[in-house]
Amino acid sequence: MTITLEKPINPVKPPKPWAKRNKSTVISNAIAVIFPILVLAALFFTTEIPGPVLVVVVFFPLQLLTAGVTSFMDKGKRGIGDAVLSVGCVTAFGLVVALLGSVVLSVIARGFPAIRFSFLTQNNIYISPTTDLTYGGIGHALLGTLLVVLIATLIAVPLGIASAIYITDIKGRAAGFVRFMVQAMSGVPSIVAGLFIFAAIILTDVVGFSAIAGGLAYAILMLPTVARTAEEVLRLVPKEVRDAAVALGSSRARVTMRIVLPTAKTGLITAVVLGVARIIGETAPLLLTTSNANNTNLNPFSDPVSTIPVYIFQYLGSGYQTSIQRAWGAALVLLIVVAILFGLTRYLSRNKRGNV
Amino acid sequence: MSSSTLEVPGNTPTPRYFGREKSRTKSDKLFSGSIIVAALSSLFVLTAILIYLGSNSWPVLVEQGISFVTGSEWSTTDGVEVFQIWPMLYGTLLNAIIGLVIAVPVSVFLALFIVFLAPRNLSKVLTVVIDILAAIPSGIIGLWGFLVFTDTAAGWGQLLNQYLGWIPLFANDQNQFARSPFIAGWVLAIMIIPIITVVSREVLAQTPQELLDAARGLGGSLSGSIRMVALPHARGGIVGGVMLGLGRALGETIAIYFVLNLIFDVNIYKILNPEGGAIASMIVAKFGEATPNEINALLGAGLILFIMTLFVNLAANYIVKRSQREKLI
Amino acid sequence: MDATRIASTTNVDIEATGVRVPNTPQDAHPRNPEDANVHLETKDVHIWFGQRLIIEKVNLSFPENSVTALIGPSGCGKSTFIRTLNRMHEFIPGAALAGQILYDGKDIYDAHVDPVDIRVQIGMVFQKPNPFPSMSIKENVLSGLHLAQIKYENPDEIVRNCLERASLWTEVKDRLNASASSLSGGQQQRLCIARALAVNPKVLLMDEPCSALDPGSTRRIEGTIKELSQEMTIVIVTHNMAQAQRVSDYTAFFLAEEGAPAQVVESGRTDEIFMRPKDPRTNDYVNGLFG
Repeated sequence: MTITLEKPINPVKPPKPWAKRNKSTVISNAIAVIFPILVLAALFFTTEIPGPVLVVVVFFPLQLLTAGVTSFMDKGKRGIGDAVLSVGCVTAFGLVVALLGSVVLSVIARGFPAIRFSFLTQNNIYISPTTDLTYGGIGHALLGTLLVVLIATLIAVPLGIASAIYITDIKGRAAGFVRFMVQAMSGVPSIVAGLFIFAAIILTDVVGFSAIAGGLAYAILMLPTVARTAEEVLRLVPKEVRDAAVALGSSRARVTMRIVLPTAKTGLITAVVLGVARIIGETAPLLLTTSNANNTNLNPFSDPVSTIPVYIFQYLGSGYQTSIQRAWGAALVLLIVVAILFGLTRYLSRNKRGNV
Repeated sequence: MSSSTLEVPGNTPTPRYFGREKSRTKSDKLFSGSIIVAALSSLFVLTAILIYLGSNSWPVLVEQGISFVTGSEWSTTDGVEVFQIWPMLYGTLLNAIIGLVIAVPVSVFLALFIVFLAPRNLSKVLTVVIDILAAIPSGIIGLWGFLVFTDTAAGWGQLLNQYLGWIPLFANDQNQFARSPFIAGWVLAIMIIPIITVVSREVLAQTPQELLDAARGLGGSLSGSIRMVALPHARGGIVGGVMLGLGRALGETIAIYFVLNLIFDVNIYKILNPEGGAIASMIVAKFGEATPNEINALLGAGLILFIMTLFVNLAANYIVKRSQREKLI
Repeated sequence: MDATRIASTTNVDIEATGVRVPNTPQDAHPRNPEDANVHLETKDVHIWFGQRLIIEKVNLSFPENSVTALIGPSGCGKSTFIRTLNRMHEFIPGAALAGQILYDGKDIYDAHVDPVDIRVQIGMVFQKPNPFPSMSIKENVLSGLHLAQIKYENPDEIVRNCLERASLWTEVKDRLNASASSLSGGQQQRLCIARALAVNPKVLLMDEPCSALDPGSTRRIEGTIKELSQEMTIVIVTHNMAQAQRVSDYTAFFLAEEGAPAQVVESGRTDEIFMRPKDPRTNDYVNGLFG
């Protein structure tokens, strides 16, 4: 038999009739959006009523009312719910974007003037709260943060990944219990981690205020993040991969170390990076464990060491203008480091999706 | 020979069950052993926290008695040391409640926006933005809260007082609006909005498509379908997310330290007054110049904070887990 | 209106539960669907997902108070097509559509039409039973009225009426407040039918309503469909040839040639399609040679 098919129509952009808007809907939406803004602007410029009051007392109710009414005229009673939903959503969206934007822009705008080569490399010896910004910097704090985070990573990553292996790979008798404990640990407030290390190590004179004490406190906060992320990642390793290795006669240790962990490598790196991002800005535990210093200290086992978060805390507390500028500068550096770490996790997880 | 015994009617063979495969080789045993030891590190740490904070603060707790948590005085002068944390304990809860009142509606609407309303590209961007917000260190939020946000929020507080001051909640008898629980609540809200939004977004996005189809196929508008299908489905997860946010709010230290006046005189409801409390921030504030006994009292305050957050966090995880299990059945 | 409906449904005949022989004399359905009182029709409907055309040029008429079965091999887009009939198609990202779908002579995709109104008048029952798990049986039946914000009186009567028409009443009348998830799969699907009936649709679309059910439940639902067809227009997607023959008055056969979008190869009265198909491909398909 012969089949004759008409040549299929294939326009460049297939039509979506539902995307067409009926004129009255467009008009009513436009009214709902523009009218309250016009009223707000008019009142703002003609009266003395303060802006926030206008927004809360006039604009917001008016926005809800106009959206409700126009939507009611357009769609009937069920339009009202949709109007409330959209106004609520857009308000929440606007509020969050404004707050986040304010945080990020303030840090960039106020931190940028402080940033210079000397600020990134010099330490803080002979710097008084009023010393000009051309002298002194956060070099010692950067190195200190690096040191403390490195110690925390060396402790928390093996323990965190081992917890994840126990839960997903060994599936030991206590898997549920370990999981429960990791969850409980993720709720430990950072100040409590600091207090604990202080009580356990510093009060008992094992070491004084030092990078190792700070690293231990950080490790407590980092472990649950690493363990939980690693658990999710290891779960993604297909059962077939393990089965294949077991069927080839591998021992359990070999299956885990040679097959499972390499398969999940990028995911595990993501877990580590997330863990670092979680701790790197924490101030409270370090105040109680590393204390603060103006000099560069690379000995992890003795003497206080400065870190970026504590540096910010120190200079913010002093109250002088140049000190506050230093605090903003350090905050900008910290924010950039966090952004890089964050970008790294997204880059890694994109790669992971590409491979699997 | 054995087959004959099997064929006797009624004599069913005994089944053999396979337990976990035992580690055979020496290296395997070593491997499993070390993994188990490492996996128990969380238990070890949690127990150690309880023991160290408990044993160090025990003498002070015994000496102060129940008034450690119910009294309102903290003094090391006059030779008599009095350590009572009630205003800090209450203030911690008050700040957290104000934070939740602001954060919960914003987070739920934001999650609904991301999942159901926003165009797909915008919702992808927003998901990332929320993750960034979650990653901003609390020290930076504190810095911003202290130097940027306090002025703005104090202005809001002043307006609230000016127009609604007749409501006791918005009364202010100090004519000073900075460093109030109101501002601390806002700062906490900014820190917990991402937590609640992330959890809510995840559970809302898991609303079964067939239920949404059913609601829309019956003539449900978007808001109606959300109210009748998505929110009931996500309720457990959202409550769990709120509890996680609460846990974070209770333990927040540095941001609160910079935006709140810590006063050892309980401020029950006047949220615009520059008087408040927060255990974690109080610990940082007192730590630098503390006497040895005072240090032990601070460890005791930390112990109470630890137990409180542990409880909230476990409850949160339990609620999230239970709601997920219900969905599976 | 309710009274007549109840009257018509209490008149349960044995035929409702049995096999229906097509082409029986009492069948008043004209040979050509266009000659009947057409309720819903499609004109040159094309459907895309993204840039991929998956359904091409479908012209079908669905006469009032009749059952039309859409048959064809799986994956040829029947379910997609049926979703366009009450504007459920547009929820799928990347979905696109050309052509007209006329309901009582008006295009349901016209910009002036509120899609929510369309979905109230053209109800839908899905492949997998999907009662709302958090609601009781009774609340499920009434849920459509709440969703579409339709005012109603006498909830008990509506619940009873809808459950009776969906042939579920006798099984659940003593536990109307029990959770919907306590019902069996077949009961859940009938509950979904009752739920769809509560908003009083004029057309009911059913997307393989029995594919997840056992033969007993399937029979009961077929009986329900047969009864409902006396008062509403029904369109049903099915893979089951026997089911199409048992329940439908008209049949449309969809087929996608390799690499090409699906088309309607043949449509007409069910007995004609199954006994005297005009197209050889239809003949092969209904006789089980492929698909």
